[in-house]
Amino acid sequence: MARRFRWFLPLVVIALVMAACGTSTPSGADPKTVTVIGTWTDAEQDAFLAMVKPWETDTGNKVKYQGTRSINDILAAGIPTGVLPDLAGLPGPGQMAEYAKAGALQPLDEVLDIGTYTDETSPALVDLGKSDGKTYGIFIKAALKGLIYYNTASHDYSASPPATWDELISQGQANMGDADSLWCVGIESGDASGWPATDWIENILLRQSGPEVYNDWWAGKVKWTDPKIKAAFDLYMDVVKNTYGGGTNAVATKFELAGDPLFKSPPGCEFFEQANFMSGLGKFADLKAGTDFNAFPFPAINPDYTKAVEGAGDLFGMFHATDAAKSLMKYLVTAKAQDIWVKAGGALSANKNATSYPDDFSKNAGAAVANAEQFVFDASDLMPSAMNAAFWSHLVSLTSGSETVDEALKALQTVADDAYKPAA
Amino acid sequence: MTATSPGLDQAGPEQGWFARQHIGLHTALIVLMVIWAIPTFGLFVNSFRPATEAFGTGWWSALFPPYNFTFENYAHVLGQSNIGTNFLNSLFISIPATVIPIFVAAFAAYAFSWMEFPGRNILFVVVVGLLVVPLQATLIPVLSLFASWGIAGTFLAVWLAHTAYGLPFAIYLLRNFMGSLPREVFESAAIDGASSVTSFFRLALPMSVPAIAALAIFQFLFVWNDLLVALIYISIVNPDNLPLTVSIAGLVTSQGAGTEFLGAAAFISMALPLIVFFGLQRFFVRGIVGGSVKG
Repeated sequence: MARRFRWFLPLVVIALVMAACGTSTPSGADPKTVTVIGTWTDAEQDAFLAMVKPWETDTGNKVKYQGTRSINDILAAGIPTGVLPDLAGLPGPGQMAEYAKAGALQPLDEVLDIGTYTDETSPALVDLGKSDGKTYGIFIKAALKGLIYYNTASHDYSASPPATWDELISQGQANMGDADSLWCVGIESGDASGWPATDWIENILLRQSGPEVYNDWWAGKVKWTDPKIKAAFDLYMDVVKNTYGGGTNAVATKFELAGDPLFKSPPGCEFFEQANFMSGLGKFADLKAGTDFNAFPFPAINPDYTKAVEGAGDLFGMFHATDAAKSLMKYLVTAKAQDIWVKAGGALSANKNATSYPDDFSKNAGAAVANAEQFVFDASDLMPSAMNAAFWSHLVSLTSGSETVDEALKALQTVADDAYKPAA
Repeated sequence: MTATSPGLDQAGPEQGWFARQHIGLHTALIVLMVIWAIPTFGLFVNSFRPATEAFGTGWWSALFPPYNFTFENYAHVLGQSNIGTNFLNSLFISIPATVIPIFVAAFAAYAFSWMEFPGRNILFVVVVGLLVVPLQATLIPVLSLFASWGIAGTFLAVWLAHTAYGLPFAIYLLRNFMGSLPREVFESAAIDGASSVTSFFRLALPMSVPAIAALAIFQFLFVWNDLLVALIYISIVNPDNLPLTVSIAGLVTSQGAGTEFLGAAAFISMALPLIVFFGLQRFFVRGIVGGSVKG
């Protein structure tokens, strides 16, 4: 009997030998290799690798890239242990400041060509990358939130896009034809379900109450139960009421397919709100931006606040100041690198001089970000993570109708009371 | 006690009577099994449907005409640049990370059941108590340790980690099984002059094969399906060593698009564990202990 199990022993020996071999391989000490961790995978990863390719050819260095959506977990384990990649995507400006304070992030003021960088880049984004007056993060990629998409075959709004919310509603209703409803909404996105609805609330609040209230709100200085916040939620609920398939359909529809009913015949809806990257998702990906579909910016609600736009972006920081890492960081913000990035489509650049967009649609969106007079960052991304998660999930229950606005706001304030306490 | 001994699986003419007696039980089992398998079946059907349909209508609607199936999801998953390397990495990680803890646990279980030494029970309670330590709580201290040893990012790091995470349960399971083996077997072996080592290799280990096979499946599946441990201990330093789960997670982009590929990816990733399961299945069925004292 024992004979049959003797094979276990050599296996263990082999395992141990392999283990020994494993130890002897050097782990990332090569000065010509830059380890990078980012959130881009799949097609976005290919676009990033295409962007660094010329730098690799020019300098003879190599980029070892790992794309993962679990970047928060990796950095949470990496910061206290010091096991960190050379460059990494950062979850948001809040965490960037924390990591900088902990001494893990390296300041970039001497790494970048700071004069050119400041000239070329949207000032709002330059500021968001600063902590205590020093630059720690750069926006390697930007996104514009709050675009209203429409099917040009139903009605072309490009000549005179609605400037105010009331115009939007009246024009929309006038041109509805045999469309089923005014809006399409879809907020399902796996474990992040609800985020498209947070964009809705943010865009409404920004136009109703202005950037100051907006910034105080995500910072926890305005209560969720404040009438201004409630007004934004109420307007969103009006939208849900006029949604294709109703709220229950909205929570069950994947956000990337939510705009597809625009192109049904007869159309399912007239308008669909999403960020600029929507042009590469769902049915939009097969259609031509600017010809088959188009979008106009989120209209003004309160005439006092017409200049601010909402956007988001991928922040990037440096943990090890090796020569290769510094040179890569410097390269990434240049118009030359950013041009390659935007040419691949779906991405906007914070750099004004990166203009090789594949179509006018992206070009306009890119210009809107780079030249924005006032730029506010996606509020839910700036909130503490417990707050953000609660914001998402309460918008799901709100949209599906299982909660009223007052109940949701009260519950959110309870979460906020805890989430904004200074970390112990 | 040989591998081919006629066992309970050859029931002979009594089988028909046996089946009739248990017809109610069998119906219940089949119904439960079908209910249990439905979600997996739905996932399987959806993995062959284009994204717009998979998210638009339920999987059952695909079973009626018009049929619209596609291999595109599978093609996309298999077309990922690193998938081959990552599949091999998964094997490199899973096999040693299954064999090592089982071996260590078998030695420990034997000692805990049949060797007398002071503090045996306390030690056993401590080991089993480690079952309640959540894996996540160990990530940061263990990563610092690996970093100071210079093995962060290597296969060795994940093998050690998985061995440690798997041991408490493995020891617990094997100790209970080995402890229930007939005492007479070990006593007669000792009288015949067998040392502990001989008893372990020639008696305890062969008689524990069903438990070891069950444990091997648990441990293999745990390691094969693991994303977190690999992500933390490997990805920061050396992404070349990452397993298949990381490529699968990467199918979903930062904006949350691409979830239509997950069904196909799940079935590709499931193929190997299924082979392992069916390969080891025969060890479950066979009762080895029955009659061993007489032999």
